[in-house]
Amino acid sequence: MAAVRINELHKNDLPWIIEYDESKCIQCGKCTAACSFNAIRPAVEQRKSNSITNKCKTERVLVIKQNISLENYCRGCGMCANVCPNGAIKAVRNKDDKYSVAYRAEKADSFKKGGRSNLNTEGRTLDKIKVGRISQMTDPSLDAQRHTFELRTPFGRVLKADRLNFDVKNGNMIETTQLPPNRWIYPVIFGDMSIGAVSWRMWEAMAIATAYLNEVMGIPICMCTGEGGIPTKLLKSRYVKYMILQIASGHFGWNRIIKSMPDMTEVPAGILIKIGQGAKPGDGGLLLASKVARYVQEIRGVPKADLLSPPTHQGLYSIEESVQKMFLSMNAAFNFRVPVAVKVAASVTSVSVYNNLLRDPYNIVGGFFLDGLAAGTGAAHEISLNHTGHPITSKLRDCYLTAVKQGRQGEIPLFAGGGLGQTGSFAADAFKLICLGANGVFTGRMLMEIAGCVGSDTGKCNACNTGLCPAGIAAQNDNLVKRLDVDKVAQNLVNYILATDIELKKLMAPVGCSSLPIGRSDALITVDKHIARRLDIQYGC
Amino acid sequence: MSVCKIKTLKNNTRMSTQELLQTISKKIDEGYTDFEIEACGQHDIGGTSWSKTGKDLFFRVINPGQRVGAMAMNGTTIVVEGSAPADVGWLNSGAEIIVKGDGGDTAAHCAAGGKIYIGGRVGTRSGALMKHDPKFEPPEFWVLKNTGSFSFEFMGGGIAVICGYNCDELLSVLGNRSCVGMVGGVVYVRGKVEGLASCVEVVKLDKLDKDFLKSGMTPFLQKIGHLDLKEELLDFSKWRKIIPLTNEVKKTKISVKEFKEKEWFQEGLFGDLVEDDGAVYELAQTDKARLRKPIWNSNLCVGCDICINNCPQKAITKEDNKYISADSKCIGCGICSAVCPRNAWSVTSTN
Repeated sequence: MAAVRINELHKNDLPWIIEYDESKCIQCGKCTAACSFNAIRPAVEQRKSNSITNKCKTERVLVIKQNISLENYCRGCGMCANVCPNGAIKAVRNKDDKYSVAYRAEKADSFKKGGRSNLNTEGRTLDKIKVGRISQMTDPSLDAQRHTFELRTPFGRVLKADRLNFDVKNGNMIETTQLPPNRWIYPVIFGDMSIGAVSWRMWEAMAIATAYLNEVMGIPICMCTGEGGIPTKLLKSRYVKYMILQIASGHFGWNRIIKSMPDMTEVPAGILIKIGQGAKPGDGGLLLASKVARYVQEIRGVPKADLLSPPTHQGLYSIEESVQKMFLSMNAAFNFRVPVAVKVAASVTSVSVYNNLLRDPYNIVGGFFLDGLAAGTGAAHEISLNHTGHPITSKLRDCYLTAVKQGRQGEIPLFAGGGLGQTGSFAADAFKLICLGANGVFTGRMLMEIAGCVGSDTGKCNACNTGLCPAGIAAQNDNLVKRLDVDKVAQNLVNYILATDIELKKLMAPVGCSSLPIGRSDALITVDKHIARRLDIQYGC
Repeated sequence: MSVCKIKTLKNNTRMSTQELLQTISKKIDEGYTDFEIEACGQHDIGGTSWSKTGKDLFFRVINPGQRVGAMAMNGTTIVVEGSAPADVGWLNSGAEIIVKGDGGDTAAHCAAGGKIYIGGRVGTRSGALMKHDPKFEPPEFWVLKNTGSFSFEFMGGGIAVICGYNCDELLSVLGNRSCVGMVGGVVYVRGKVEGLASCVEVVKLDKLDKDFLKSGMTPFLQKIGHLDLKEELLDFSKWRKIIPLTNEVKKTKISVKEFKEKEWFQEGLFGDLVEDDGAVYELAQTDKARLRKPIWNSNLCVGCDICINNCPQKAITKEDNKYISADSKCIGCGICSAVCPRNAWSVTSTN
């Protein structure tokens, strides 16, 4: 019998405890075969025989046991319970979890995880906001199902009318100087998850859904590629026009993008310069070696190793310099025909950045993406995930209002993201942010959820960093990736957007808006006085 | 009885709508059935009126206000000499309403019976929400010229005929965004149509359609005093009809799977980067799809066969004192390793 010492890891220290009912188990072995974390194993227990005899007999009994290890431990994903024919096994949350203490004490390293912060204990601001201005007899409301709505939003630098350079020549209006590129896109963007952060099947499903929504459903949705390379095939296809290419501080995959340029028949929808992300602001990308599969190595041009992107773009030291170097180069890459936007983590400093970009004299900043602290991530240090960042709502509002004060709202379109749909109300979150001043929203989280993510905001799974995602979404183990049904996920993504489209209209209609109510904060009320004052919207109780 | 003539302006004093309608009601009770009303914009003339003896009612009106013939009934005929403002024949349930000039907005709105003839054009949202109760004749709504935008919204039944006369300069004889939410009925239209809602289709006329138009056109033109246009309007080359798409047709878009098969990259987006035949794995798989597999070590094995007896997949066999786990059966559960008293089986990751 193994000796048990106090200073060893014990089952009761782990975040999840396996509950196993031996009387229901038929020992089929499926639970242990299915566990991607190797957190459970078949084991033999020595038992005293129940029969009373002169000799003390023992018998060997086959059971399922939980592994007690810092590496192979249960994340509560629930696959064992899913695969068990008899309901003999399940993971139960351990309220007295001390795993992360033990991890740090043993490894002398910061604790890393994927998914999202698990410290969302306070109520969300967006849930305390309601769409309170409903057209009743004051003005005509619309019919969400049957009226025609215009949901598109501009992406790209918008010049005020007095700065448009038009002239009349031979009776026709002509541009005297080239205007900044602009696209009319759907106000929901599939948000930047890289190849590597998600599996190839997940990434392909998102790309198919994007293409289908554009070409079959007429919904001009864009997908931001994330920064993990892009298959050359896609770059050279017509579908690239629905893609927003991302460049982050790691500059992964740009070699193939640049090499493909002469063969590209279409330009991309846009370019997004990622400065920071809401889940771990001030920190760079993190792809642990376990996820750097062979094809990821190839497409990114790196060996199998922990891939850490620097926390900043090396060589950029100020907002002005960023405009001159990064924005200019990215604009030049496609001959000033593609809008170039920037994504930063929401922060106390966001307004300064936005203000500075508004003053860009070259009109080459085509969008400002703000990512809030409830955002998810493929991998992060827990300390960043749980303790850094800024809620999205007030910061988006600050940026919008600072532009309003200068009469410059809408000139650099604002897009907001981070934790949208957290409480199951994605379309409502999107609508409220739009009324507060966003031109649109971006989401990665919802795509994961739609694809079958089993994780939660309360510590379930959250193992996106390991490459062992049991749903095949963030996995890089071939056999786990192949659990994901590309066709089904693509269809479900499409369906979710169609449902979101209906739901956005269901909110636009009673407000009486047939086009996107950007900045229509008069449509909102809040049941919280502090929120009312902070966001400058009506208080209702 | 003689014709009851009502002048609504006396000594520069205008009779209110209430006074006029109550006067008409009183006169009907007195036996009058034939009215000539010189109105001053009073509302609802000719609506919800009936004689207790079941006689037909006839109204000749000039200068009516809104909702002439609103909620009007079978047996009522209303002739407006000139034009009428909004809501002509709103909720008409059976009257024949003739407007010799133009109608206003929302003409024939919600009409579910009777006939409405307009000798000019009508405004926005005309014909919206028309319905047809199958126990009665369908409502008919004839317009010589054109309609405003948003006409025939949410139309659920009935027949509209928009003749498009003298409308060549218009982009659309139905304005913009007409037929939004139309689920029933038919709109016959002559001339250009633009900006229709996506829930309807425009189709050619069949014989029944032509017969209907032929038989209805003469009385229509007669009533509005334009028989001279009969030949021009019965040239069917410019006529089409708008009908709602059926639910089946609305769903004919290809599925995502079909899109992927027809339009997407043949070997998949990552075909040149990964090996992937597209199979979707279950949680417990065999062979190369397993997460883990067992390895047998002959040096440690004592040949007790416990592994063979406990393997849930019956994957293990013994040949010449060698134990073999069949890849095609084994799911990598690790039971062989657990039960082996000598640790002869170990489990290793397949990836």
